[in-house]
Amino acid sequence: MFEILRPGFLKLDRLWEERPMKRHYDVVIIGGGIHGLATAYYLAKNHGVEDIAVLEKNYIGFGGSGRNTAIVRANQRTRENVRLYDEGLKLWPDLTDELDFNLMFFNCGNLNLAHSEAALSSFRLSINTANFCGVKSELLDRESCKELIPALDVSDRPRLPILGGMYHPPGGVLRHDAVVWGLAKGASAHGASIQQGVGVSAIDTDAGHVTGVQTNKGPITCNKLAIMAGGYGAAVCAMLDIELPIHPLTIQAMVTQPLKPFLNHVISSGGYHIYANQTLKGEIACGAHMDPQVNYTTDATAWYFKHQAEAMVELLPCLERVRFLRIWAGLADMTPDMAPILEGNLEFDGLYLDCGWGYFGFKSGPVTGKYMAEYIAREERPDILGPFTLDRFLRNRYMGETATTMKYGHYD
Amino acid sequence: MNRLPATPTQKIDHDRRIRFVFAGRQLEGLKADTVASALWAAGVRTWSRSFEYHRPRGLYDLEGEGASGLVSIDGVPNRSAGTTLLERGMTIAAQNVSGSPDRDVYGALDRFDRWMPAGFYYRLFHRPYRAWPFFQDRMRALAGLGRLDVDARHDPGVRTEWYMNADVAVVGGGAAGMSAALAAAEHVDRVCLFEARPWLGGHLDWRVREVGGRPLRERAIELARQVAGHSSIRVLTHAPVTGVWGENLVTGFQVGPRGDGGATEGYDERHWECRAHTIVVATGALERPLVFEANDRPGVMQVDTAWRLARHYGVRPGEQIVFSTADDLALEAAADLADLGVQIVAVADARPEGLDGELAARLRDLGVELMPGSAAAAVGGRRGVTGVEIAPLEGGQARSFPCDVVVAAAGRQPEIGVLSSAGAGFEYSAHAAAFVPKSLPDGVFPAGRVLGLTDVEAIEASGVVAGLNAATACGALARSGSGDGESRDADERALGSAIRDAEGRLAGLPGPAAGSGHVRGPMTGKGRKAFLDYDEDGTWKNAAQCVEQGFDVPELAKRFGNFGLGPGQYRVPGQNLAMAMAELTGRPVGDIQCTTVRPPLIPPSLATLVGPGHDVHKRTPLHEDQTARGAIFRQAGAWKRARYFSDDFSCREEIRNVRENVGLLDSSPLGKFRVFGPDALRALQRVYISNMTAVGEGRCKYAAMCNDTGNIIDDGVVTRVGRDDFYFTTSSNRAGGTVEWFRYHTRYDGWDYNLVNLTDNLASINIAGPNARAVLSRVTDSDLSGGAFPYMGYREIQVGDSIPARCLRLGFVGELSYELHFLASYAQHVWDLLMDAGAEFGIGPFGLEAQNCMRAEKGHIIIGTESEQRVTLLDIGMGWMWDRSDTESRKVGAPALRACADQTDRLKLVGLRLDDTAGRKSPEGPADGALVTAREEILGYVCTTRYSESLGWRYALALVRDGRAERGTSVELFQDLGDGPRRFAAMVVPPHFYDPDGARLRG
Repeated sequence: MFEILRPGFLKLDRLWEERPMKRHYDVVIIGGGIHGLATAYYLAKNHGVEDIAVLEKNYIGFGGSGRNTAIVRANQRTRENVRLYDEGLKLWPDLTDELDFNLMFFNCGNLNLAHSEAALSSFRLSINTANFCGVKSELLDRESCKELIPALDVSDRPRLPILGGMYHPPGGVLRHDAVVWGLAKGASAHGASIQQGVGVSAIDTDAGHVTGVQTNKGPITCNKLAIMAGGYGAAVCAMLDIELPIHPLTIQAMVTQPLKPFLNHVISSGGYHIYANQTLKGEIACGAHMDPQVNYTTDATAWYFKHQAEAMVELLPCLERVRFLRIWAGLADMTPDMAPILEGNLEFDGLYLDCGWGYFGFKSGPVTGKYMAEYIAREERPDILGPFTLDRFLRNRYMGETATTMKYGHYD
Repeated sequence: MNRLPATPTQKIDHDRRIRFVFAGRQLEGLKADTVASALWAAGVRTWSRSFEYHRPRGLYDLEGEGASGLVSIDGVPNRSAGTTLLERGMTIAAQNVSGSPDRDVYGALDRFDRWMPAGFYYRLFHRPYRAWPFFQDRMRALAGLGRLDVDARHDPGVRTEWYMNADVAVVGGGAAGMSAALAAAEHVDRVCLFEARPWLGGHLDWRVREVGGRPLRERAIELARQVAGHSSIRVLTHAPVTGVWGENLVTGFQVGPRGDGGATEGYDERHWECRAHTIVVATGALERPLVFEANDRPGVMQVDTAWRLARHYGVRPGEQIVFSTADDLALEAAADLADLGVQIVAVADARPEGLDGELAARLRDLGVELMPGSAAAAVGGRRGVTGVEIAPLEGGQARSFPCDVVVAAAGRQPEIGVLSSAGAGFEYSAHAAAFVPKSLPDGVFPAGRVLGLTDVEAIEASGVVAGLNAATACGALARSGSGDGESRDADERALGSAIRDAEGRLAGLPGPAAGSGHVRGPMTGKGRKAFLDYDEDGTWKNAAQCVEQGFDVPELAKRFGNFGLGPGQYRVPGQNLAMAMAELTGRPVGDIQCTTVRPPLIPPSLATLVGPGHDVHKRTPLHEDQTARGAIFRQAGAWKRARYFSDDFSCREEIRNVRENVGLLDSSPLGKFRVFGPDALRALQRVYISNMTAVGEGRCKYAAMCNDTGNIIDDGVVTRVGRDDFYFTTSSNRAGGTVEWFRYHTRYDGWDYNLVNLTDNLASINIAGPNARAVLSRVTDSDLSGGAFPYMGYREIQVGDSIPARCLRLGFVGELSYELHFLASYAQHVWDLLMDAGAEFGIGPFGLEAQNCMRAEKGHIIIGTESEQRVTLLDIGMGWMWDRSDTESRKVGAPALRACADQTDRLKLVGLRLDDTAGRKSPEGPADGALVTAREEILGYVCTTRYSESLGWRYALALVRDGRAERGTSVELFQDLGDGPRRFAAMVVPPHFYDPDGARLRG
């Protein structure tokens, strides 16, 4: 109890062990991001599978896990999605406790702004669906939006005036790196081996079964292989000639100089293609735009930088004289229905796939890891992952996470 | 005032005093002072409190490199004191301060550092979890630097934009950059030179040391004169570069010039972008901070800070100064300051040998004690510097020197920001003790100190080499000479030999000087208050704690320990982080990668990025008329459209007038196309799911397009104007993508047809209601009778005296109606004709919402409202359009429709009639988006629902799982918009509520 009063009470031990790489593992996971680490953690903790290697080409959290704006919410459009994200949302406090690592969950609520009657209608659908499933969500008129966030300009001045909003109290933001490190800590403590700087160049198969991977540090054999490489998932699958309906797009985010707190909720606007929140350090973190070209680069673009400033000043005119400090980009692996592909029933036995999250990969990380671990350990698809099959695209059974089918590339 | 006598290097005007306020005190500066120089001259030492420990901070650099020098000016937070010019009447406030800058309430936090090791907050405050929100709120309250008043509006002044092209863009207006610009401009026509400071000259600008018998600053003036006089060089000063993006796009902003009275001339700040063929990067070098105890005390400053205070602003940096530095430039600074009458107590140099002999002798002559191989270990003083301990780096007794300023640096590091953002790679040079460029992207040429060069002649020579190479690479040869082979050969020889000469000259000059590889002084403790990163209070001890916890490479330590994430970004701690990680892990620096540099390199304000603003939307030719009639507009796709004509958003009156009388709708955004040519029909057959061969001349056919998955993506009417000539409409949102859609889906066929988008050329007015014919017949002589011009007919008529119009008899809103398409320039005239003709009937305008209600009553869908990604053409009951027998046309979407034609358990479009149990004609009911439910199941949702005055009951169009789609089935609607659940009973009915037989359309 009084330990906290003693300097040096915190043990500054390594968060995760550096273990020598073996030549064989029961399970190999490609990708040291939130999904891969969470799956390793739950495999080891819940299913007693400890002989696991997480292979990360760069350093853990290099990809989307370290580049997102760490916003979490559960007000999806369809019930199947609400169910998964709701459980994901409820997991953060438990996970903080289990991992004994503060993931800095700021339960501030999310306000999504509508600039058209059509957007209000689509909010109503999401709100009704959420509330029907027991997830709190409410429709606000423009005055209530202003009450919630005094810095918002709810006048008719902006190009797209604010007509109302969807407020979702259970949502919020976390510290994304902390989630990566905390999961690495937990996975390592339960025996999983985290291998940084190990890139996979080929996947070995034999008689319809995956047998291992070729890496820059030599070959590794395994009984089961999980591809959890985020934005690079489709590229890894291409090593097995598995073609996925995934378009990787560059998505950008940025922060301003640190300011004293004034924005106490996450705001987002489909009309302006923007979301923003104020971090624990005081920066306004914002982003959301995706470059339309299919590509694997993580270069930021000048025109978007400018465009984002325009959008921010429209919604929050007090930011006019504030300065942008840093812009960066990551990859979003977009599917046509904005829902992921979680699949263990592929042409190769022992192969598991977790990809196609688009920009929902952060908020879904731990909960997906939990159920993918179950899927891998029991070799049986958990009920909650039921809808996220790969063959839904063949059967023309889209998930309906967005109203319109997403098309990417050079035509609309 | 602490001012030195006037010298020619000074920028200030001693006779022009400028009054300003800091922390409530009236102070005075001079014209051309920066906020930093004015504050320091006025004796202000503490300008802000640090991020985590609330330690006093102030002047460290004059380049805006970090948080210490950020102040609030006239209510605008986080302005850089070092680069902001002082203006009359400025009110300057310290940041991150509770109380006064000198007595900060949170200053005590400084004593608790042992409870705050690197990443401590990840390991604390969450046990038990319910305690976390309490700590989180406390942490949040302490966060941030500047305070923003969300209600205050700061006039951002005039913000403009400038987009330019260049053969060669040169970043940096020092000796290397100017030499590069001059060399390049001999061979290409468009050279742009960008300099962040308000003047050219770089570090030569204030140096009076003589090289070749001439003070260096005279060389700078000479180069600047040549650059300014060269007709092929465009110079932008006070124009920091924010980044180099793809394809050599250089961006930045420029601070506008100020007139004598302080007023803006032309613009306050402008955003600029320069698309260049090639880029010369001559960004110079930054100082590498020396790490020692209390190296953040106000009074510890960079070499150039002290030097420029004296040379540029005539400010005496301190009364007694001790240097702890590591290069010859610092020795020169010390000697120069001493020459100016500033007392230099001692100069410690981390290099044990290799000091410039001439400068060392000068210092000794001036009575300055020179201590090679030594560095600062700690400074004394609580709010400012009272003394410094200097000790030999290889061990030995420390000596104390009383002083009020310590000039400290571990050396210089190339300013890699621009190069790095252009995509260059770097490697550690042990000789120069600096990361220097290793791999360069195409078209990027570094020059000067960014290469690690230190000799001024070599810096200039490297500029010439880079300028000539940049000119060559951007195609100077291809464009010089007028194509005549002989003269081109001569040019090629001339440029080639110029490059050889320049390279030869550079090779004969000294390369980079040896640098000191030390990061820290001979500290005795763990470095509890020895800062690697001033911005977020990252100490040496914190770096060691990062390594202990496994965060042992710069990219991980950056994120875990917050090194280089503050306002100074990559500059502080810069290269020191890599060197610290090397030292702490015992690895060679060469094995360690620096962190990624992220743009913007200098932060631009959002207002400057926004510029004059670009509110891009389309207005119809009737926009002003609709505005005058009280229209309330909404953005709909690219257009601003009139949605309501009163504040009754149920549009009762507008609807009634159309249903009972006649109304006018400005439908100009409707997509309008002509497709013609021998293969026009084949193209239509491909993209439309309907059978287009059946379109008769003079007839309209309602038709739809699907995408590859069988979703309906567009609907409209197609009419055959001539044998191979068709006219068709699309939904407004689709108009922009239609041409590309046709082209894409016929790209391999080589068909001969032309497609013309007439959307913006033609206006469209829809006249609808039982009296539509009566009104229209008053403005045209054409026969509009039902027999001559039936429903779904197409005629070309003349309106008024001479306006040709395409007239389509349609019925989207369910009434007798005509659509007139004609040249947009006639729109107001035609509208007025119709309004005049209809006056006696009480004609009135109606908006999109009224149209929306009426079409829904009629059961006409809007794509994206009654359709979505989960439903196909078949699911919304429009399968009758699809010509299943046609496999030859390879209709887009047909394979998908075929594949799922027999699937069950799909969403289907149904009509719903809502019971009014109370028997009242109440318009109360659920709204769009209500769920269709059965106990705990969600069966679908309501797309559109309204109470209909015409029907006397509430209807809904809904997408419902097919089991419930049977007519007569009862379903339940659920709505909870956060105000509690409500349920409504409804019955499935056919989705055509109003005039199901279409008698009114055909009338």
